Amino acid sequence: MKKVLFSMFIFLTVVLMAADFFVEDKMLTSAPQPKIGGTLRLALPSTPESFLLYGSLDSSAYSVIMGPLMSPLVEYHPITNEIRPCIAKSWTISNDGRQVWFYLRDAYWSDGKPITADDVIFTMQYFVMNKYARGNSVDRFTIPDEKGVNKPITWTKINNKVVRADLPSPYGAFLTSLTAVYIYPKHKLEPSIDKNDLASVNKLWLSNTPASEIVVNGPYKLSQVIVDQKIVLERNPYFFKKDLYGNQLPYFDKLEYLIIKDPEIRLAKFMSGEIDYADVSAADYPRLKQLELAGNSPYVLFASQPVGSTPSPVHIAFNFDIANPKLKELFRKTEFREAMEYALNRQRIIEEIYNGLAIPGGGLVLPTNKAFYNPKVEQLMRPFDLKKAASILDSLGVVDKNKDGLRDLPDGSTFEFTILVQNQPKDYQQIAYIFSDELKKIGVKTNLQILDSSVVGQMFGAGNFECGIRAFGNQPDPQLRKAIWQPGQQLYYWHYSTMNRNTTPPSPVFAEMFDWEKKIWEIFEKAQIEMDQKKRKTLYDEWQELYYKHLPVIFVARQMNFFGANKLLGNVVQSKEGIPTFTVWTSYRK
Amino acid sequence: MSNLTSFIVRRLLIMIPTMFIISIICFVITELQPGDFLSQYLDNPRISPEQIEALRNELGLDKPAHYRYFLWLKNIVTKFDFGYSFSYQRPVFDLIWERMGWTIGISLLTILLQWLIAIPLGIFSAFNQYSFLDYMFSLIAFIGISLPEFFLALVLMFFALNSGYMYIGGLFSPDFLGAPWSFAKFVDLLKHLWIPLIVIGVSGIGGLYRVMRANLLDVINAPFITVLRARGLNESTVRKHAIKNALNPLVSIAGMELPNVFSGTIIASIVLNLPTIGPFFYNALLNHDQYLVMSFLMLIAFITQVGNLLADISLALLDPRIRIA
Repeated sequence: MKKVLFSMFIFLTVVLMAADFFVEDKMLTSAPQPKIGGTLRLALPSTPESFLLYGSLDSSAYSVIMGPLMSPLVEYHPITNEIRPCIAKSWTISNDGRQVWFYLRDAYWSDGKPITADDVIFTMQYFVMNKYARGNSVDRFTIPDEKGVNKPITWTKINNKVVRADLPSPYGAFLTSLTAVYIYPKHKLEPSIDKNDLASVNKLWLSNTPASEIVVNGPYKLSQVIVDQKIVLERNPYFFKKDLYGNQLPYFDKLEYLIIKDPEIRLAKFMSGEIDYADVSAADYPRLKQLELAGNSPYVLFASQPVGSTPSPVHIAFNFDIANPKLKELFRKTEFREAMEYALNRQRIIEEIYNGLAIPGGGLVLPTNKAFYNPKVEQLMRPFDLKKAASILDSLGVVDKNKDGLRDLPDGSTFEFTILVQNQPKDYQQIAYIFSDELKKIGVKTNLQILDSSVVGQMFGAGNFECGIRAFGNQPDPQLRKAIWQPGQQLYYWHYSTMNRNTTPPSPVFAEMFDWEKKIWEIFEKAQIEMDQKKRKTLYDEWQELYYKHLPVIFVARQMNFFGANKLLGNVVQSKEGIPTFTVWTSYRK
Repeated sequence: MSNLTSFIVRRLLIMIPTMFIISIICFVITELQPGDFLSQYLDNPRISPEQIEALRNELGLDKPAHYRYFLWLKNIVTKFDFGYSFSYQRPVFDLIWERMGWTIGISLLTILLQWLIAIPLGIFSAFNQYSFLDYMFSLIAFIGISLPEFFLALVLMFFALNSGYMYIGGLFSPDFLGAPWSFAKFVDLLKHLWIPLIVIGVSGIGGLYRVMRANLLDVINAPFITVLRARGLNESTVRKHAIKNALNPLVSIAGMELPNVFSGTIIASIVLNLPTIGPFFYNALLNHDQYLVMSFLMLIAFITQVGNLLADISLALLDPRIRIA
């Protein structure tokens, strides 16, 4: 036994000496003498459904896989959001922007086998571009060529450590999209795939797979799954990142996820120090902060300007395609939607619902996203002004004709509409209430329809609503939100007549688009194939202005972000913008 | 005895059509729930409409409801296959089985606790009717019956947390989760276990206590007790006979108790973070994981029927009057 252990040790040493380490940034590993070892404890709401990212749509699975267990070719810098090397140590782009070569580092799987070009090709072929895989990304990696025909990006192995991607046309968000592509081991998975039934990949690495079978390239590997109680990961001795001082990462020996379904219990366990890190809501923040200031809490709290994709910024939409012809005519007028924005009391919403801890607007791109944010939208947002709202409605002929205190449509019938909103999260319905309360003051009658979120989602998806309150999370690159904000797309739900569902894939209907919608449509097409980031920014700047000018939807507010970390966690750092950063491979216990 | 055998056989045979009817009701109810498993992905921009269609096809959700029902039924009858979970992509039977250990453990412990506390208290109250303690126990029992379990759980946890008690939520401290069994681990379990046992058990204790008290009061006033006394038996022997007779109806209650403990504690289990089937079932309900929901409901129905049958059998064995009738 000793002999075996010794030879394993020698093998590991040799491999690690040959390995091509990625040296982690000073921002993330600022402590010169971190303590190594110990256990980091986090929480998960449920047992992950799978350990294969592409076989599942489960957010618990995403949390455990993306980062802790698996690594992509390229990744976002956790603080600056710049794209940086990961498994690929570098890449080069051809002059026409249509070929990209990735050079893989000498890194190893957790079973000691080298990570090669074959693994990249395998991941692309069987998972990313496999339309039968539940979590595939066929859509993201299929782009139109110069003739406008959709074609997939193809991958070729040049040699063991070099792969080339061939793009049908230049694709501005290519590297951004790659940050979500985690590379899986061919040698472990290929034998289990039924090549005649590509949906069989969904059955790989399910929740009952023995931990030893799961071979990874992230900082930790799976050690134990205790159903509905705990997931234990342990240090992956082959992980390819080092700190500035030569220590191999991660610092912790173990990463444990306690499975806690109820958010209150999660918070209680965080407050008692059993869990090391937590996202905190605006509603809980003041109470927790008080405890911290009183000095008897095991944690420190951070508040930051809005960052990341959640909590999603809330918006109000009016259905351009509503069946009622009188409302349809009105909802399609930009002046009407302007009046609605004037009647939206953002300040009251921020004070009453978010304890003052939110910013107005916040839709499309967050102010902290320096790469794409257009600060001009702040001036374009119309301030709360009921008089102005009333006078616009007057000018549209929506006045109180029968003196019953309610405005009427030009034909004399009462003007009223229903606001559809889901019951969770609570702030959505609170916003609906305040919006409707202010509208009442200028004689506009509204009805609130509060339903379960799955029903509401279906109603929006079928275009079955009058006015709706909804939210979509932010992403660092607007290209990733094309499915929402470009007219004629699957989630452009307030104007579905811009999409022809009878073609596969659905196609845009230009005849139905307003001029400004056509403009937005073009911007997305142009920015997609633009490789020059400055030009992309100019295009997306215009897109943001068009949205705030013409108001296809009215953005309400976005909560700030609150995080808490155990006092004893090291390398939890706060950037200049106040954004705290914490990674599972650079934190340690003081 | 042959009477009893034919009774059991008859009851077992009746279970087949009953389960069939229950399965239809369960299926109709899960179908009536608006939306389906894929609704939760509709507003996710990462998932394209083509992906949703492909999944609908893969899961068979594009087929008509009656077709899916009969396919499910056929697989149960021919292969004893209860179907796959849409989200876990594993046989539902395995998923339920994985979570059965603690579910059964906690259920049995709770029932045991209920009987150990409720029966003696009920007997005491009946023999000391209208005494101060009788009133006090009754009051506590009524509070126990009327308090929702999850609320009691929250209140208990609040007080425990405020007093600095650390063993809250779940059954073990994180360090002992997954560790091999040891005395320290057992002690840790006990420290965690008392809150769930109280929370889940308390309404049952109240109910059982009331039934025991009422039954015994009925029996004490029955003519045969007067006869026993008239024949000069001493009081403790009289009481023994009274208690024996009063226990009979409780046996049928015991049969009903099992499914209750399984399904009646979902919210409390979520709040207490117990690794039982309840929270898992709740998730499956929210996600429209239809076969998982159906199979769980069928399991509950089955347990209820078996519980009833066992109660009836033991009642027949205990009480000659029922056996002969």
